[in-house]
Amino acid sequence: MTVPTPPPFDPELAAALTVMAEFVPPSLTLETLPALRGADFAGLGEDLSRGGAIDVRELTVPGPEGEPDISLLVLRPAGEEATLPALYHIHGGGMIMGDNRLIPTEMVDMVVDLKLALVSVEYRLAPEHPHPAPVEDCYAGLVWTAKHADEIGVDPERILVVGASAGGGLAAAVALLARDRGGPGLIGQMLICPMIDDRNDTVSSHQMAGLGVWDRTSNDTGWTALLGDRRGGPDVSPYAAPARATDLSGLPPAFVDVGSAETFRDEDVAYATRIWQAGGVAELHVWPGGFHGFDMMAPQAAISQEAKAARLRWLRRILGA
Amino acid sequence: MVRELAGRLAALDPDASAAVQVIAYFDRLVETRAGLEAIVRGAAVLAGCPARLLDPEHRVNVRVLGDGRRQDTADPPDAAWLHAPLGYEHATLWLERPGPAGAVDLMILERAAGVARDALTRTRGRAPSADPALVELLLDPAAAEADRLHAARRLRLPDSGVWAVAVAGAPPAIEHAGTRMRLATPKTARTPGRRTGIGPDGPVADLPDSWSAAKTALRFAAEGDDQDPGPRVVRADELGGLMVLATAVTADTEPAPDVRALDHAASAAPWMLTTLYAAASEPSLRTAATTLTLHHSTLQDRLTRAEHLLGWNLRDPQGRLRLQLAFALRRLHRHPPT
Repeated sequence: MTVPTPPPFDPELAAALTVMAEFVPPSLTLETLPALRGADFAGLGEDLSRGGAIDVRELTVPGPEGEPDISLLVLRPAGEEATLPALYHIHGGGMIMGDNRLIPTEMVDMVVDLKLALVSVEYRLAPEHPHPAPVEDCYAGLVWTAKHADEIGVDPERILVVGASAGGGLAAAVALLARDRGGPGLIGQMLICPMIDDRNDTVSSHQMAGLGVWDRTSNDTGWTALLGDRRGGPDVSPYAAPARATDLSGLPPAFVDVGSAETFRDEDVAYATRIWQAGGVAELHVWPGGFHGFDMMAPQAAISQEAKAARLRWLRRILGA
Repeated sequence: MVRELAGRLAALDPDASAAVQVIAYFDRLVETRAGLEAIVRGAAVLAGCPARLLDPEHRVNVRVLGDGRRQDTADPPDAAWLHAPLGYEHATLWLERPGPAGAVDLMILERAAGVARDALTRTRGRAPSADPALVELLLDPAAAEADRLHAARRLRLPDSGVWAVAVAGAPPAIEHAGTRMRLATPKTARTPGRRTGIGPDGPVADLPDSWSAAKTALRFAAEGDDQDPGPRVVRADELGGLMVLATAVTADTEPAPDVRALDHAASAAPWMLTTLYAAASEPSLRTAATTLTLHHSTLQDRLTRAEHLLGWNLRDPQGRLRLQLAFALRRLHRHPPT
């Protein structure tokens, strides 16, 4: 197969990527995983309390039936007594890295700016814990959040799932599970450059091989950690890889964004398209020249600011805030 | 996964690594032909404070905060803030922070100003004028090589294929093959009719040698009129052994007898020097006659008279060489080293 020329990176993103190249190799393998897990990704030590403006609680709640408990990090505006809508946040990290303190800065800001609760779930990681452990942990946390909403001052009728990268894929999967298992009800799913297709064989995945962030080698690493030999085969569950879902009807309104210069471009565009084809509601943004996670790694770039502003506008519409 | 470019840079070794990263950042902006706002944003984010580009002449006023947000203001900048001129009249890049500047700040200012100047040139359609002090530094053999290479980067010269140009009555200039852009103030741009010496091309580090050779070549350049016939533009690398001759003639060297003879002949007839120059430089007397628009026999008559005045034969190779050398020496006397 002839690989077409990759789309160029946005100028500011290209410059930022040049500076970050030594910290962010495009291709990750399981051999480099221990070092990556040990690295401080600059967000881990972040002050989630925003100097006291946000109350941060850590709760231990039951996991999936017969499985270990899970941890939920609950963020609320300090001193806010009202019942609030909630972002149910699932962190990224390729299914193999990260923890529930890895929350995009903009979402922490939203807690104060939009008066929201944010619940960030800690899920077990592959390869130690392959599918379905990660997604079932995420779903169990959502079920607890909806059922015990009053305990954390959350309106159970106003919960959205949000996540970036692997977190976006898990958020999409949790939305499918919530539909298929009859709850909890969701008012939206914000899928930020979501990782949803284990087949790893789109044009964009080939175009961006060895380039940018999270190329198809990294993607193979993540999916193989999650699915083992089943990756790319005929019997992968849509709850592992939402692109595999044959029915995308009956889902809550989706927000999907992705860069034009990243592995996930084609699978994410296809996902939004199939939601429309199934009669659903989706808002799709493809940011030209964006690499994977560009707005988190280069938040200052003009295009990153626009991407974040688009999310904020969508969220305000969904919440009527 | 990873956040904050500025945080990353701050965590680096503040001198070595960060400076390299700053260069890499702006180089990439150049490659991708980024616009002015992206350049100012780069300066702001890398420096961690507001940055501003002001060019009153082009009505450019771009201000970006340290977090990358665009926020213009009509307030004038504080003269105490760190700033760097772009080389235009009043165009300046500002970092809204008082001095003293750290090594990284200086690097940011210098690179951002250089890249912004190029972007302005591209988008506003105007050739930049080079900072004469930088050109001078590049041509100065006594300057440290590191300083010269630094100046070359500011002038955005390629690493090699550059040469010095000496123009009579004008400041020194540097040219390169890529753009043939003239790095000099506009009023010194090479004008036809001005005597010019061109140094050999080579790496940036060899520019002082190129400049020295260009000045020597300028001494061999003629005014191109009746009293000083010859080429107005002379390339050092075409002079060969004549370069050695130049060192033998200084301002107080007595003219050789052949030079005196040439001046003596010149005073005898207004056509003398142009005729002799044609005879010395044209491939044959026939083409010399054509150049001078003379009948061949008229040229023969003139040369006979000239031979009488000069005292040597002009129609054999040795005589012609002697005439060429006399012209070369005469120019060296007319244009002594500066």
